[in-house]
Amino acid sequence: MAELDTSSGGGHGKDGKIRSKKMSTRVDLTPMVDLAFLLITFFMLTTTMNKPSAMELNMPKKEDKKEDQQEVRECQVLNILIDTLDAVWYYEGLKVADLQKTGFAGDEGIRKVIIRTMRRVDRECGQDKTGKNRPMICLIKMFPGARYKNMVDILDEMDINKVPVYAIQPYDPIEKEAVDNGGNVKTFATE
Amino acid sequence: MPKVQVAKKSTSVDMTAMTDVSFLLLTFFILTAKFKPADPVMIDIPASRSMTKIEKALVISVDKEGKAFYALSDQETRLAALQNMIDRYGDRYPALKTLTDQQKKVFTFIEVFGTPLADLPRVLSMDGVQYKAYQEKLPGIPMDSTNNELGDWVMAGRYANPKMKIAVKGDKFTNIKAVERVIQVFTEKDIHRFNLITSLSAGPAEEEKAPE
Repeated sequence: MAELDTSSGGGHGKDGKIRSKKMSTRVDLTPMVDLAFLLITFFMLTTTMNKPSAMELNMPKKEDKKEDQQEVRECQVLNILIDTLDAVWYYEGLKVADLQKTGFAGDEGIRKVIIRTMRRVDRECGQDKTGKNRPMICLIKMFPGARYKNMVDILDEMDINKVPVYAIQPYDPIEKEAVDNGGNVKTFATE
Repeated sequence: MPKVQVAKKSTSVDMTAMTDVSFLLLTFFILTAKFKPADPVMIDIPASRSMTKIEKALVISVDKEGKAFYALSDQETRLAALQNMIDRYGDRYPALKTLTDQQKKVFTFIEVFGTPLADLPRVLSMDGVQYKAYQEKLPGIPMDSTNNELGDWVMAGRYANPKMKIAVKGDKFTNIKAVERVIQVFTEKDIHRFNLITSLSAGPAEEEKAPE
């Protein structure tokens, strides 16, 4: 490529005529290709990297029709209370009792509880009008100190474990009080 | 016996074709590349396993302190949304009606918007340096029940482009109350389906420490 004709030094031939040097018109393109590919690689890597993903969230409509409402059995319900950073409390049923604390850490935390309760609901809660096993219902309640990260974490758990019915609800003051007391429910509060 | 003469070939290859192709690709990537807009608000989004991608959206960002910001993905929608807000709030803030086309154009260049309407004319007449300084501490869009500008901005964005998805982008350590308020604003405006912007988590949930 880059052969430059250097043989004719000076340009003075035998006959004394001045000849213009013959130059090759070809240029070495290798460095240019190198550079071009370097830039291609750069742009390829930077363009595909940043697209945010998103999780979908459906909130219930305010004016629920009577026929849309589901009948909830005490047996089906798992309450998940989210306190300050990474602290999760849970209890089963509609009555605030037996609060237990857990965390988000992988398989050992709330996921284990969800899976366990799901199995129990499937076994024990009988069937609804259409003859299907009643699904588990997760009620998620977030206390004022909770962080957004944990809300996403718990919604992600719902998705991972394929919890059929879940809702974010305002918390009950009794629940807040119980968590503040370290899980102990005062007797007068339990109705 | 005749000698077999091996033909001497040049070792150099013609690079022109390769250059052509590589520059074609290069041009393509340069033109399609969209640089990430400089975010005036630092938001560290939480991770989830959700893989759904989101392209064009109306994004409400909520930062660590619970301030809300508003972002629309393209300029025409921004202009239409602004026009809508001027119509709605023109009587309360007469200064909005006097916005020039130039100032409206400035608005369409704002990627992440976080200014109360009362302050908007002043902000739009700032020059580049002043705006940069202002951007360091954006006040956020008011969203309390007495002055719910955020809700109106969301509706204005929806009117401007009804196909747009609606998304919330919260920081990991945002207090849940602020996010719940944003969700409440959505439900008040009859938006029951929206997205939470997350990044893809790498694997087992990693432990993170809250900032002081």
